[in-house]
Amino acid sequence: MASIAHIDEWSDECATVSEIEQALIELRLRRGFEGKRNLRTTMLTHLAWVPQEWQQAATETLAGLAERHPSRTVLLFPEPDANDGVAARVLLECYDVAGRHLCNEVVELRLRGARTRAPASIALPLVLPDLPIFLRWRGRPEFDSPMLSQLLDMVDRLVVDSAEWPDVPGAYVELARLFDRVAVSDIAWRRSLAWRASLARRWPELPHRIAGPPAEAALVAGWLRSRAAAAIAVERAEELPFDERLDPSELLSEQLDVFGRDPIYEAAVSSAGPP
Amino acid sequence: MATQSITTETENPLLEGLGIRRRPEPCVLTIFGASGDLTKRKIFPALYSLALRDLLPEQFAVLGIARTEQNTDDFVHAMEAAVREFGRDDFKQEVWDELARRTRYVPTDFADEEGQNRVARCLTELDEEQGTRGNRVYYLAVPPEAMPKLVEELGERRATTGWTRLIIEKPFGHDGASARALNELLSRRFTEDEVFRIDHYLGKDTVQNLLALRFANGIFEPIWNRQFIDHVQITVAESIGIEGRAGYYENAGAIRDVFQNHLLQLVALTAMEPPIDYTADAIRNEKLKVLKGIATPDPQLVVRGQYGPGFIEGEPAAGYREEPGVAPDSETETFVAARLEVENWRWADTPFIVRTGKRLPRRETTIAIQFKRVPHPLFEDASDLRPNLLVVHIQPNEGVSLAIGAKVPGEGMRVRTVHMDFLYGGAFRMGLPEAYERLILDAMLGDATLFTRADEIEEQWALVDAIVAAWRRDRPSFPNYAAGTWGPRTAEELVEWHR
Repeated sequence: MASIAHIDEWSDECATVSEIEQALIELRLRRGFEGKRNLRTTMLTHLAWVPQEWQQAATETLAGLAERHPSRTVLLFPEPDANDGVAARVLLECYDVAGRHLCNEVVELRLRGARTRAPASIALPLVLPDLPIFLRWRGRPEFDSPMLSQLLDMVDRLVVDSAEWPDVPGAYVELARLFDRVAVSDIAWRRSLAWRASLARRWPELPHRIAGPPAEAALVAGWLRSRAAAAIAVERAEELPFDERLDPSELLSEQLDVFGRDPIYEAAVSSAGPP
Repeated sequence: MATQSITTETENPLLEGLGIRRRPEPCVLTIFGASGDLTKRKIFPALYSLALRDLLPEQFAVLGIARTEQNTDDFVHAMEAAVREFGRDDFKQEVWDELARRTRYVPTDFADEEGQNRVARCLTELDEEQGTRGNRVYYLAVPPEAMPKLVEELGERRATTGWTRLIIEKPFGHDGASARALNELLSRRFTEDEVFRIDHYLGKDTVQNLLALRFANGIFEPIWNRQFIDHVQITVAESIGIEGRAGYYENAGAIRDVFQNHLLQLVALTAMEPPIDYTADAIRNEKLKVLKGIATPDPQLVVRGQYGPGFIEGEPAAGYREEPGVAPDSETETFVAARLEVENWRWADTPFIVRTGKRLPRRETTIAIQFKRVPHPLFEDASDLRPNLLVVHIQPNEGVSLAIGAKVPGEGMRVRTVHMDFLYGGAFRMGLPEAYERLILDAMLGDATLFTRADEIEEQWALVDAIVAAWRRDRPSFPNYAAGTWGPRTAEELVEWHR
């Protein structure tokens, strides 16, 4: 990985979208006359909905992600109990690659008070035109919340980690209702890949019982039921039987390379719960 | 013979979507010429990278064969050092230990029956130990003169069970006659889909990206022809000299070392028609049409050169004739440039200027598509405005750039050229795989898309033979360019020759 060359920053406790856009332009231009060419290579807009309890985890994930996936990241931090307003922090993170500075844009928005209720109206003007938009929803979504609904209307893909949810496999019923509306990625599903691969290599032998963390085990069981019509019992275990030990940035990064619906995952989710 | 017997998704419904389909069947990879530089610098580092990514077959073994007297332990130690030095990935001991456990070495030149029997015994043992089922990939990294005998013996002794594939390193022959003879020999013993002739340029991701650029983007193909393109320049430049390979290079020269293979393959990929699909024969059929369509250039449209003393990045560099092992009156060319014409409807009268050389100012491989100028200069001062230029950077700084005209801010309507860049490493921040990783894996899978077919090789040699025949009529006045320059001055005139 390339080393970080510089981070430029702008912030405002009470910002407008046009001020944020202007800040992005000025940060990009600032380094442009210092010898090395700043190059903006962007593949997508990465939106993230990050409730208070997930802020640290989201920031850590983002730190590893930026270099892997050149993008504009818009982090939405809902603060419904604060006074109305939008506080913004804009970062331009640039890396040395082949003698040039490659830059990622990060926009952190604290949506305060009533502004929490209309996140799409703030995020939409900030997305890059004609590039895919991914929404990473930290924690368990309130599936019937208007905020989720608004954001789903503007994105191409929803990325969740159902291992962050306290109520799997029950919550999968609600998730499955979104499949016809938006393509969904689940980081727990990716985490189970090595496990599924090991089961596939043992075909036609199939287990009758599997054990693993709740989300991954439920998805693998759903996958075996949907692919092989197998009757599978699930036991809870702390560890995955096969774990590539990818860090959160790597796991999210892979989901940002996936486009379109994944019918195998959708079938696994639909079959993940008890019959 | 080249059956694809990895378990398919119709047989195993759990495989779909797992992305593990590209795992080859069990096999032994047997490397002839295992003590050579290629094994050390490319083949073993590639095998390690494939092992690290879990892409090798679960039942797999490597057998190294060379004349050098050493045992398996010595060979394994040498290869471990090579992987540490030349590998692109961090070294993980457990990954290496697993690969080393599956590696054997047999010292023999494979010329006598005793040596051949030892190799056969070792392969049988590996089949029993590793479960490789008689499947063989023979990697022939040997000098051209050793190739016929080796092919003959391997054909004679091919396993009665499992499949057999041959990977053949360049140079494939020394001229058209020797290439044809080798192809004929191969065809007597093996089918075409068992033979994988390596041109490692085709394994580069950025070369494959040329196909993506052309055939995955609707905007380029309509203008990819004589109506819109003025000319194409393809450059394979090296700043290094011959690096102690005088024995090989004196006989090969730039025309056999690079022009005959890499350069002509790049011409073919740039000029080919869209194939009907992305399969080996569909692509190779289209490349072959281009190669057949290249007219033999007029001798004055081919420039050869040899470097004399000069400077590379400020350091003095010896001339070619002063390199160790090179004849003081050597007439071997270290530079070739040619103005080629692809005679078909798409490219008639559109020159392809190709050049390759050693001791040029920098290492770079590029394909530059120069579009025609606008028909009428509309703006007040267009002196800074150059024609649009699309440059595909194959290496280094892999990517694509497009030169376009833009208005200079302020009063008036001054237009000047600016660049839009796509930098491969900027959009996809993952290490590009080494060409050999892709090619070795593809050969194990039986996928010949990125390998050169017999008829392509013969067409390439036909062009080279014609050029070399013309060269024999006169003696070149070498050296004719200084190390660290872009070759003989006459090469620069090839673009403007017709104007």
